[in-house]
Amino acid sequence: MFKDLNPILHSQLRLAVISILIAVKEAEFTYLREKTDATAGNLSVQINKLKEAGYIDVTKTFKDNYPQTICKITPEGILAFEEYVRDLQSYLNIKK
Amino acid sequence: MTGQESLELIARMIHKAKRDYFDSGLSALLWGSVISFCSLVSFINQLTVRIDAINAVWVLTFIAVVPQILIAIREKRARKYKTYDEDHMGGIWISFAIAVFLLNFIFWRYEYKGEAAVYLMLYGVPTFATGYSRRFRPMLIGGIACWAFAGLSLFCGYPYTLLCITAAALIAWFIPGLILRSRYLKAKKTHV
Repeated sequence: MFKDLNPILHSQLRLAVISILIAVKEAEFTYLREKTDATAGNLSVQINKLKEAGYIDVTKTFKDNYPQTICKITPEGILAFEEYVRDLQSYLNIKK
Repeated sequence: MTGQESLELIARMIHKAKRDYFDSGLSALLWGSVISFCSLVSFINQLTVRIDAINAVWVLTFIAVVPQILIAIREKRARKYKTYDEDHMGGIWISFAIAVFLLNFIFWRYEYKGEAAVYLMLYGVPTFATGYSRRFRPMLIGGIACWAFAGLSLFCGYPYTLLCITAAALIAWFIPGLILRSRYLKAKKTHV
C-alpha cells in the first residue's frame, strides 16, 4: 500500500526524529530521547540508520566531561522529508 | 503506520519541538530593570539634588554585562537543542551592544542634544527584530514604543528625556521579560 513511500522515513521513531530535526537546527541525543519517549538503545539504532542514509549528521563531543551526541539534519534529509510529506499528501488526496 | 498517522506524528513532533522555544526572560529582565533604574535615578537626581556623582549610576550598565555573560553561558549549557534563529538573534544583539558602547564614546566626545532619541531609536531595532522573528508581540510593541519615545524625547527637554528612556526600557524589556519568565517557569513545571 505504501510502496512508494520512503522506507527509511516510514518508521515511527525515525520519522519522529526527522520531524524534530526539521523544527530545530540541531539537537542532543538526550533531547530526542525525551521528545520521542524511546529507549536509548532503540533510538541509537534508528539514528544510525538515518545517518547511514545520509539524512542526518551525528557529531560526538564532550560537554562538562560527559559524552554528548548532537544530531543535525542534512540537506539530503530535508529533501527526503519534503518528498515524503508530498508523497503522503498525494496518497491521502488520491484516497479521498 | 497509515498515511494519516504519519502526518499526525510529524505535526505532533514539530509542535513538541516548537513548544520548547522558551526564553528564560532573565536577560530582558536584567536590562529592563538596569536601564529603567539608572534613568529614573538620574531623572530624580536632576530634578532634586543635582549631584553629579549620582549620575555615575550608569556604570551599572557596564557592570550588568557580567551577569549577562553568566546568564548566556548558563542558558547555552542547559539547552539541549539549537534553533535556526539563535545565531541571527545573537548577532543582532551583539551588534546592538557594540553600537551602544560606541555611542557612549561618541556622545562623550561630541555634545549632542538629542542623544536620548538616538539611544531609543537604537533600542528599538533589536527589540523589534526579536519580536518580529519570534512572533512575540510584547517585544514587537516594545520596539515600536522605543521609536515612539525616541520621537517624543525630541519634544521634551532634559531631564524628561530620561523618563522616556525609563518608560521605553520598562515596555521594551522589563514587561516582556516578566511575560517570558512566567511562561518559562510554567513550561518548566509542566516538563518536570
